[in-house]
Amino acid sequence: MSGWDHRFEAELLRLGVQPGRARQLTEETAQQAAESAAEPDGLFGPAHLYARHLVSELNTAALPLSGGEKGQVRLRLTGVGKRYRRRTVFTGVDLEVRSGEVAAIVGANGCGKSTLLRICAGLTRPSTGRIQRTRRVGFVPQDAGTAGWLTADEHFTLFGAAAGMAPRRSRSTGEHLAARLAWRPARRELTQHLSGGTRQKLNLVLGELHAPDLLLLDEPYQGFDQGTYLDFWKQVLTWRDAGRAVVVVTHLLHDLQNVDQVYDLGAVA
Amino acid sequence: MTALVVAALSAREVSRRRTALLLVIALPLWFYLVRRDQTGQSMRMLTLGIGWAVSTLTLFVVNASRGVDPRLRLSGASTAAVIGGRLLAMTAGGVALATGYWILAAIDQHLDRPGTALLMMALTAALAAPLGGLVAALLPRELEGALALLSVCAVQMLADPAGLTAKLMPFWSAREIGTYAIDATGPDYLWRGLAHGAVTWLICAGGTWALFAWRLRLPRYPEP
Repeated sequence: MSGWDHRFEAELLRLGVQPGRARQLTEETAQQAAESAAEPDGLFGPAHLYARHLVSELNTAALPLSGGEKGQVRLRLTGVGKRYRRRTVFTGVDLEVRSGEVAAIVGANGCGKSTLLRICAGLTRPSTGRIQRTRRVGFVPQDAGTAGWLTADEHFTLFGAAAGMAPRRSRSTGEHLAARLAWRPARRELTQHLSGGTRQKLNLVLGELHAPDLLLLDEPYQGFDQGTYLDFWKQVLTWRDAGRAVVVVTHLLHDLQNVDQVYDLGAVA
Repeated sequence: MTALVVAALSAREVSRRRTALLLVIALPLWFYLVRRDQTGQSMRMLTLGIGWAVSTLTLFVVNASRGVDPRLRLSGASTAAVIGGRLLAMTAGGVALATGYWILAAIDQHLDRPGTALLMMALTAALAAPLGGLVAALLPRELEGALALLSVCAVQMLADPAGLTAKLMPFWSAREIGTYAIDATGPDYLWRGLAHGAVTWLICAGGTWALFAWRLRLPRYPEP
């Protein structure tokens, strides 16, 4: 096998594809390149990006074409509650999100939407209830979560290293994901000089960089202009179509037309 | 690997804060200049200044990364890699700062044991990084942390060196090693200083790791 094949197979394994299946896909890809009498790099592009694309396509193919039954359960909350000393924030939250599904958490200010999302991520402990969740999760907070004195590329390197990715691969994956949000990160621009909307794009890319099965988004469109807002929802639907489970906290009612289920936290708080 | 990337990027972040960096680099110089006429005093004050500068810088670096670190943990990084990387960067920077000031002191002063003087200053820098980390872990807000470090350095400076209070301070090792390096005493001062430094480092580094391991812990939710 060539170096490209090795990198391709390694990325498939990293993305959670079973070893036997990864080997089979690698062989099939190598065969396609041989039939075209072309180098895989020239035919398919960088190995890690093509692996991502292929996994996404395969997940889409495994899902039903429209409505009805969804994929595997990625997140299940049973009777989850949160209490700070004597103040009960919410109680008895039951929620199930499957792959290929977008769930929205809505509710009034202060009803605990962000707290619930942090509980789903594992960053805050619930007071009561049981949580089952897929291992690979991406979390996009409402604000912060980035370092002001680093550039976007350096963030890709940092978060990629945390996920076990080599720096070059992290950067090219980050730039690829940024392009989907119509953003081309400038090489030397520090994060603190980015506009609020662009910083949120960076946040989104960092949440997705390690190809999670479940994306938890806390009002991620703060500061987006109209075009970017539409790009964002297009991206959410692309994630859904690629078999990802997405949970998004929102207070915008017109967002709800894009989602598969709505959980009103205000009703149980 | 992750720790090295965290260390490299932490160092890069600090290097971009030029005004803050210049003030941190200059801080030990003021300590040195006020006692420049006395070799022993100037070296001890210089070393304490390095300790204060490096610990305060570490405090701010660790506190500034509070928003990023939980996300790095979620992406798969271990606490040891995240916190260890930041302490590694600050230690390396501190040792470089100490080496620079040692060259200045070696030119400007008559040092009987210059190698041991370097050891004193580098050890203090190596202790200061985990001390700053520990204070950041205990006091998450920057103002409170900076005031706590100021208190530690003030007590270190003012306490009777032979008394128990001075021995409980983190940089007491610098005084002992300094006495050996500058006053040409027996090696028992050196060994006492090294032993105190080793214990202090273990307490500060272990305490920092333990507190952040608890703070950045992630629950193991079962798969659905």
